[in-house]
Amino acid sequence: MMKKLLLCGVVAVGLAACGGGDSSTTDAPSAGEKAAVTSGRDQIKIVGSSTVYPFSTTVAENFGRSTSFKTPIVESTGSGGGLKLFCSGVGANHPDMTNASRRIKASEIKRCADNGINDIIEVKVGYDGIVLANSRKSDQFNITLRELYLALAKDIPNGNGGTKPNDHQRWNEINPALPDTKIEILGPPPTSGTRDAFVELAMEGGCQTFDWIAAMEKTDKDTYKAICHSFREDDNFIEAGENDNLIVQKLNANPNALGIFGFGFLDQNADSVQGTVINDVVPTFENISDGSYPVSRSLFFYVKKDNIGVVPGIEEFLNEFTSERASGQDGYLAEKGLIPMKPEEHAARKASVLALETVSLD
Amino acid sequence: MPDYLLSTSPAMAKRHARHTRFQWYGRIAIAISISFMLLMFTAIFFRGIGAFQKTMIAVDVQFTESQIDPSGTRDENSLKQANYKPILLQGLQQVIPGATERRDRNNLYKLLSNGATFDLGERVARKPELIGTSQRVWVAASSEVDLYVKGKIDPDVPEDLRRLKDRDIAWIETLRASGQVKKQFNKTFFTSGDSRAPEMAGILSAALGSFFSLLICFLIAFPLGILTAVYLEEYARKSRLTDLIEVNINNLAAVPSIVFGLLGLAIFLNFFNLPRSTPLVGGMVLALMTLPTIIIASRSILRSIPQATRDAALGLGASKTQTTFHHVVPLAMPGMLTGTILGMARALGETAPLLMIGMVAFIVDVPKGVTDVATALPVQIFLWADSPEKGFVELTSAAIMVLLVFLILMNVFAVYLRKKLERRW
Amino acid sequence: MSQSRDLTLRRANRRSQLREYAIQGLLIACSFVAIFTTIGIVASLAFEAIRFFGKIPITEFLFSLEWSPQTAIRADQVGASGKFGVLPLLSGTLLISFIAMSVATPLGLLSAVYLAEFAKPKTRNMIKPLLELLAGIPTVVYGFFAALVVAPIIRGMGAGAGFEISSESALAAGSVMGIMLVPFISSLSDDVINAVPQALRDASYGMGATHTETVTKVVLPAATPGIIGSLLLAVSRAIGETMIVVMAAGLAANLTANPFEAVTTMTVQIVTLLTGDQEFDSAKTLAAFAIALFLLVLTLGLNIVALRTVDKYKKKYA
Repeated sequence: MMKKLLLCGVVAVGLAACGGGDSSTTDAPSAGEKAAVTSGRDQIKIVGSSTVYPFSTTVAENFGRSTSFKTPIVESTGSGGGLKLFCSGVGANHPDMTNASRRIKASEIKRCADNGINDIIEVKVGYDGIVLANSRKSDQFNITLRELYLALAKDIPNGNGGTKPNDHQRWNEINPALPDTKIEILGPPPTSGTRDAFVELAMEGGCQTFDWIAAMEKTDKDTYKAICHSFREDDNFIEAGENDNLIVQKLNANPNALGIFGFGFLDQNADSVQGTVINDVVPTFENISDGSYPVSRSLFFYVKKDNIGVVPGIEEFLNEFTSERASGQDGYLAEKGLIPMKPEEHAARKASVLALETVSLD
Repeated sequence: MPDYLLSTSPAMAKRHARHTRFQWYGRIAIAISISFMLLMFTAIFFRGIGAFQKTMIAVDVQFTESQIDPSGTRDENSLKQANYKPILLQGLQQVIPGATERRDRNNLYKLLSNGATFDLGERVARKPELIGTSQRVWVAASSEVDLYVKGKIDPDVPEDLRRLKDRDIAWIETLRASGQVKKQFNKTFFTSGDSRAPEMAGILSAALGSFFSLLICFLIAFPLGILTAVYLEEYARKSRLTDLIEVNINNLAAVPSIVFGLLGLAIFLNFFNLPRSTPLVGGMVLALMTLPTIIIASRSILRSIPQATRDAALGLGASKTQTTFHHVVPLAMPGMLTGTILGMARALGETAPLLMIGMVAFIVDVPKGVTDVATALPVQIFLWADSPEKGFVELTSAAIMVLLVFLILMNVFAVYLRKKLERRW
Repeated sequence: MSQSRDLTLRRANRRSQLREYAIQGLLIACSFVAIFTTIGIVASLAFEAIRFFGKIPITEFLFSLEWSPQTAIRADQVGASGKFGVLPLLSGTLLISFIAMSVATPLGLLSAVYLAEFAKPKTRNMIKPLLELLAGIPTVVYGFFAALVVAPIIRGMGAGAGFEISSESALAAGSVMGIMLVPFISSLSDDVINAVPQALRDASYGMGATHTETVTKVVLPAATPGIIGSLLLAVSRAIGETMIVVMAAGLAANLTANPFEAVTTMTVQIVTLLTGDQEFDSAKTLAAFAIALFLLVLTLGLNIVALRTVDKYKKKYA
């Protein structure tokens, strides 16, 4: 009997819930729900790049613990997705900040302006080195950008002013001094900002060492880019996703392979993988910071000026992010693998951020 | 087994050998599947078991008033936010007097977790009478120290390949010699949200996010599911419309889960503007996903209720609705609940659709309701598997263990329910 | 007097009738959620997919042999067109599904036959929930395991045998997915085998066949259509599986049938395209919806064929 009663109870609850459940799946959200959606927010909301995510979350956590504000929410959406959400409107319904592993584009600024977001504050977080690395089980690689380009490009110069499909299968085919192993490089997919930066800094750098290609940059920009920016698509280059931790694991499993990822991962996994020396520069903290390591990029985040005062804590968060103890030389972000800006640049950037200067692209 | 040992001819023996062999194929097939499962569980168990313990370091702290509360107001917030770094450092320096330079002091302090000062702040805020006394407090060690104490950092590796340097190790050994290092049960793992520091990270916020999502999922999918099943089995006459509904349900069961995520993204987020990354939307997506499972399970249960039950009720003058809801549905309820729980267990482990609706977020604060931004257990696993800090490898496996425990509990509960309340007709 | 009693009765009758209608209406409304869901899915995918086909012709999407969404992240970069042929993705998906099915089919079927025909009820009651547990393990766990444990083992075995296996080989993701499908196939086939009428078995025994002969020569042939149906359902599950391939398979769209190479799948591309750093509303993100639509059509087609087969089979012995 008890069981029966219990079961009937469950049915009753179920029936009662059906009405509510029904309407929320098929109809527009009820008034109550809408009100909850549009009411003010007391928590900063950040979206954007997965590269800046580790730094952003670290600051968010420290901010949450050391102030009376709530811990900001950080969502990893990718730079493009983040900027789309960021630019979709003003008010508490839209994120206050977005992280980007590249600079905001004119088209995105326009999109923001179309939706009433005119004042955007740009905060430079610091630098991120992009490194090549292989397992410590094999020898450290030492290559030049030119060799890297010859290993990775889709088409390479054929020696008499034209190009041919890349036929390099082993490293020693490029330079006899390099090891006699198959060229196997794991790297990010074309959708990632890491890939974008790598193409621009490493591939283009290597490609420009061929004078006739470099000359082409002025005369025939399209061909120049086609030659310099295209990755080979056979099994010598493996798109391995942005789950860099898995790349590190895979490098351990395959001592012949090289991987392309952010410096932070190299730093954290220094006991199992080693950075490749590029143009005789070892990817170390100091070398990236002083600019001698050739492959590094800037990281940013963007803040809606109009949301200051609407969502509590934004100014304080900016203060924390730009403070010496966070993004300074010995700050806690440096420990997470961020390459901080040099003290003068840091100070200048900090001053302009705290003065809430807005971004303009020229 | 039928007895057909009529003859002992070689041909017969061969046929019987084949019989035995065939049975063994079956046994081997089952053994392979189950041993794979065991291999997976053990691999995860050994990777993750360490996370349930964490290393603590004892520090003799002098709670000097001038340092903590110079104004003497004992205001809770300012006590929480006071700078406890100097007094923690002083405590460490009592045992390790060598470190006096700025860099050394920083390195020494890094033996402790980043969270140690906040932890101390909370203790003092809770018990302001501590101020002015001297106490031995146990605070969390940093993740690197934790890994070393657990034997996961090999001191024989050349020094520049380790983040923990030889001197750090010497300091830890000094502390250990004076009994100031211990391993204890990692309560943080169960009581806090995500953190960038592995030693401070926990699964509570993810687990609650999963709970709220499942709650919404249950509230929507269970009534909708059983009512649809009741309609199709008890009320509907066969018509074009019911055919359409049936085809729809069967096909929905085969739609890949990631497509449901895209549905949530396009309809719930972009069209209805429901709040992103919340258990409300997550639960709705999961509900639509589990709905077909529940409907199909419930229908087969309803079909197994003997017609006599309905005839008897109708014969005594009950209406169709009374017959259905007073007699048939209660009898079918255990089976339908079982089907629902199994569907919900699947929903609990589902990751792909949640990636599409923004539940991939860094959540420290524990969500308090269905409209608070949250993440879910499997997504937390996915996020941690992606984090660079080494300590997270342990945590990922540990979180998987927790998730599996929940799943097994739900499955066991479903089986129990089926056994306990099942009726044979 | 009797008239007023009639009236109350009638009123009560009408009220209860109204209630019946109301409840029936509610029930119908609930069942319509399934239809609305389908409409919602198709509409949300089609809307974005049509925008995609406005940029990339549908013929190129369906028949081009190259998948390389190397469209520039910024407008001034080269390769702004990209190549959006779905075939390499389809081949990768099918390769992984094929590997998964070649693991899952023998294991699943043999387990099903053993459990349905040979196992003692006690064993059966113990094994069945264990196998079901295998189906209940979240796919993110399988993915973690495939990437961190299985892939290195397969690589190591390849290196031991003297040939190179990519660390994101289709084999690793496929075989782990195969294990995931075992319970799926075994429980469906179990039902199918149980549905074969006892009379067929009895006839076979009566002719002097052994138990195994009865199973392989009588029961299994009789159950074949149903078993094929259940295999097709498993294939459709394999095609739509996401987390295992996201974590363990690659992203390179190789048009290959070599299980030791890295391939990518449709679901992996959907996830990468929608969480990448590129500009939104570009052909790239819209492509995700086109792939999803394609995936949906594919799985639905398979599912419809599978259900038809099973239905026909069931009717045969009903």
